[in-house]
Amino acid sequence: MAQPYAGLRLWGIPAILGVLTCFGLLAALLGTGIWHLMAWAALAVPLIVGVWFWLFPRR
Amino acid sequence: MTAASSLKTWYWVHKWSSLVCTLFLLVICITGLPLVFHEEIEGWLDDGKPYAVVPEGTPRAGVDGILEKARAVYPNDVIEFVFMDDAEPQVLVGMSPSHEADFDTNHFLKFDAHTGDLLKDGGPQSEEKLSFMGIMLALHVDWFTGLPGELFMGLMGLLFVVAIVSGVVLYGPFMKKLPFGTVRTERSARLKWLDLHNLLGIVTLSWALVVGLTGVINELATPLFGLWQATDVARIMAPYKDGKQPPSSFTSADAAIAAAGKAVPGNEVISFNFPGNRFATPHHYMIWTKGSTPLTSHLFTPVLVDAGTGAVTTVAHPPWYLNLLELSRPLHFGDYGGMPLKVLWALLDLLTIVVLGSGLYLWFARRKATDARVARLARELTPALSSVRS
Repeated sequence: MAQPYAGLRLWGIPAILGVLTCFGLLAALLGTGIWHLMAWAALAVPLIVGVWFWLFPRR
Repeated sequence: MTAASSLKTWYWVHKWSSLVCTLFLLVICITGLPLVFHEEIEGWLDDGKPYAVVPEGTPRAGVDGILEKARAVYPNDVIEFVFMDDAEPQVLVGMSPSHEADFDTNHFLKFDAHTGDLLKDGGPQSEEKLSFMGIMLALHVDWFTGLPGELFMGLMGLLFVVAIVSGVVLYGPFMKKLPFGTVRTERSARLKWLDLHNLLGIVTLSWALVVGLTGVINELATPLFGLWQATDVARIMAPYKDGKQPPSSFTSADAAIAAAGKAVPGNEVISFNFPGNRFATPHHYMIWTKGSTPLTSHLFTPVLVDAGTGAVTTVAHPPWYLNLLELSRPLHFGDYGGMPLKVLWALLDLLTIVVLGSGLYLWFARRKATDARVARLARELTPALSSVRS
């Protein structure tokens, strides 16, 4: 039997990072000003998450 | 298909799609780093005269006067195109010995947009393409081979996309029992790099997929433009086919620009191809306008202006595939959200290099493990063989 929330545990964070990336790519394309700021912030998240777990890994 | 055999199939797809494209993708990622900042780097390397310092609101110099100066410098050359930058106060004029000449013979003259003074008389493309940025671009796009190279690198990009998709499928079974962000550093170097490959692969996934797919579309620019010219432009040109000679002298470029601007209200003229250039027609200026919103500023609407009469022949609203190509440019170049976006682009590119490098390492390490295993088995067999012989 599959555990409840097993899919969420596995794919939850990747899905959030994917949504943030797509939001960032489109926000910078469709808007200016505040939208550029939000795009930079959104695109920085996957980058920071990747480098963070590289430097401070879960073992 | 059982879960085990489907996993094996996806593993096979991931291994071979990556192996074939990795070395090319590494070159693409490394040359992409300077290309992200090409405007800044070209600004530093530019040895032309500086722009005139003018008060705000100074009108731009007329294009006709600039073209006259260009013709005076190269009286035997023809004008191919004119590019009116909106980011820099410059007007670039492209010239060549003839419209039939190879693109390598094209050379650019850079004029100050306000004073109309010649700032730089550039060398031919055959020299420019061997400059630092020229080499970076060639290694990124076509390896100096034109269309065959573009299609080949496009195919490598497509394999990269296949590698990403199959990599995501493998992420599931590999990470099933592990919390997100696990990197097992103590056991072995191979395990550590496997975990890092999975981690960095999944965080850069969406970005790499978008940049990979838009890169493939950009590599198809030549055939897509060819298709448009063979269909829509050919239809526009049909009435000019039956014996009509191209005009012997052309109407004012400034007037043609103004007419094109009026034909597409709200759009701004950014560049044009001269009659006879391969992107124009023998009878027309091909004038490129762009929209004024953040999105439509990436979408170009060409206007064909009759070079004999100066009247607008047609507004050639581009087909969906040219709009797709034009939207693929910013999403691939990362040049549409200021310097912070360029820096993010470069950092995500660096992480992608780590994913590619670790993938390559994992394959080598596995081979080494397999080789060691075969060698051990061989050693175990040798005494048996020698005992048989004796």
